[in-house]
Amino acid sequence: MASHLSFAGFAWKNLWRRRLRTLLTLCGIGMAIGAFVALVGFSRSFEHEWERLYSSSGTDIAVVDKNFMNTSVNESLLDKLRAVPVVAQADPMIFNIMDITPEVNALAFGWLQTSYEFDSLTFDSGGRFHDGKPEVILGSLLARNLDKKVGDTLELQGTTFTVTGIYHGGTGLEAGAIIMPIDQLQLLTSLQGKVSGFHVRLKPAPAGEAADQFLKQAQKEIEAALPGLNAQGAADRAANNQFVGLAHAVAWGTSCIALMMGILGIANTMAMSVFERTREIGILRAIGWKTWRVLMLIQIEATVLGFVGGFIGIAFGWGALHLLSTLPQTASVVTTSLSWVHLVEALGISVLSGLIAGAYPAWRGAHLSPVEALRHD
Amino acid sequence: MTSAQFEVRNLRKSYDDGRIEALRGVSLTIQAGEYIAISGASGSGKSTLLQLLGGLDVATSGDVLFEDSPLGTVVNLDEYRARRVGFIFQAFYLLPTLRALENVQVPMLAVPGTAKSRAERAEALLRELGLGHRLNQYPNELSAGERQRVAIARALANNPTVLLADEPTGNLDSVNSARIMEILTGIQKTHGMTLIIVTHENDIANAAPRHIRIRDGRIES
Repeated sequence: MASHLSFAGFAWKNLWRRRLRTLLTLCGIGMAIGAFVALVGFSRSFEHEWERLYSSSGTDIAVVDKNFMNTSVNESLLDKLRAVPVVAQADPMIFNIMDITPEVNALAFGWLQTSYEFDSLTFDSGGRFHDGKPEVILGSLLARNLDKKVGDTLELQGTTFTVTGIYHGGTGLEAGAIIMPIDQLQLLTSLQGKVSGFHVRLKPAPAGEAADQFLKQAQKEIEAALPGLNAQGAADRAANNQFVGLAHAVAWGTSCIALMMGILGIANTMAMSVFERTREIGILRAIGWKTWRVLMLIQIEATVLGFVGGFIGIAFGWGALHLLSTLPQTASVVTTSLSWVHLVEALGISVLSGLIAGAYPAWRGAHLSPVEALRHD
Repeated sequence: MTSAQFEVRNLRKSYDDGRIEALRGVSLTIQAGEYIAISGASGSGKSTLLQLLGGLDVATSGDVLFEDSPLGTVVNLDEYRARRVGFIFQAFYLLPTLRALENVQVPMLAVPGTAKSRAERAEALLRELGLGHRLNQYPNELSAGERQRVAIARALANNPTVLLADEPTGNLDSVNSARIMEILTGIQKTHGMTLIIVTHENDIANAAPRHIRIRDGRIES
């Protein structure tokens, strides 16, 4: 039985002949893509958790400062907001990040005892805190990390807080969070009378009016009633808040650096390979291979490196996310689920990296003069 | 009147900005089906002439007409090398990662055809050259004579009309040299191909019906 030689098979043999170098290059691109998968996956997971945070509590609109994500909104505006006709429920909230212990930090929320946002929580033990008292409730993940149960106390900036409830929330962010009366958080942060914003549930949209149209109209009405504040749809707020924006920027920035290193690795491998195979390329040109065919051979080799490296990178990235999801510091914002879009994106970037990295070596190899190439030692 | 297969007109080739002149005005005519030996001392320009005839390089001035069309302008050199000529080199130049059978298929990847037809033709050629039992060996597992036979099969892969051999016996012992020459001349006769051999071995050169001697870049006789 005659063995068939295909173009792709020929490219594969060229990679296989230098297994160690191919393997090291695959590790390099794999690490780069792994960093991309893990970092961008982390930031998207963070964004996704934010979306779930809003949707699980039934929040339609977040009313916040136009520019800053800090506790700078006057709490006294709550009455004006509640008076807007489209508003069904509105509650103030403070959002912050707090070092509970040197090892464990957590998202800290300040709510009213009567906040509708409690609807999304289910208590495993205990119940709500009381306004005006140094009490907290802990997400189940945070309680586990701190080894606290109902009735235990927690020292926060010199004040002793009593744990009144352990809950599990609809999201990882909530499960890893600490929630306390809004007045207590204002005291801790010395920002009495200030809140991060208001969360709003709207009345049902009138019959015949599209939900998104109603949402836009409600945003306009709220912004008209509270000049200087921004009424954002919950989904927009989740995707565009400063924390998520920062997480995305860091993830993409770090990934780009890793990808550049991966591209340089493939480029180096392909340049070395073309140099070492100069005479072989001369043979191919001598027996009639056209410039584009030699170019394609080298580009296929680079693309295979990118493609296989992409799969290795996805495995690395998934492993890293899995690890992050088990660490106390990051467990609340990391999930191990990767979307198909993210995987296709990672593979696409990896293949593209291969193509970019292979471009110059391929061009150089393809344009070698057959005679010069055959003379090469 | 039959037109010439090659018409070479005042061919010059220089290197190193003209400081080295490898060919200094060579003109000759080669008919289809001829068997020609080109001989000369090292550096005489015989290999350069073969490379220009084979479209591996381009002349500094002068023309090589193949079937009345100039190489490199009217005749596309890649197409020409892929379909019209077959090369045999002194150092064999087989690809080390490919088996004998796969090496012979490499030129066929440059022209349309199915994987099956390529493999079948490669196998048939190797069997014809007595290598039916060595199809799946890598070049480093073959003797020098066997490697050159694989190289000959590779040169014949796309049914060329011209076979160009640059010192085809240069790396072979006398027994293998004789075998290779027997194969080449046999192919030339059987297929009516044009065979041009560059050699510095007088007995091989003198055995050819037409013998061209080159000295200092010019045809001596």
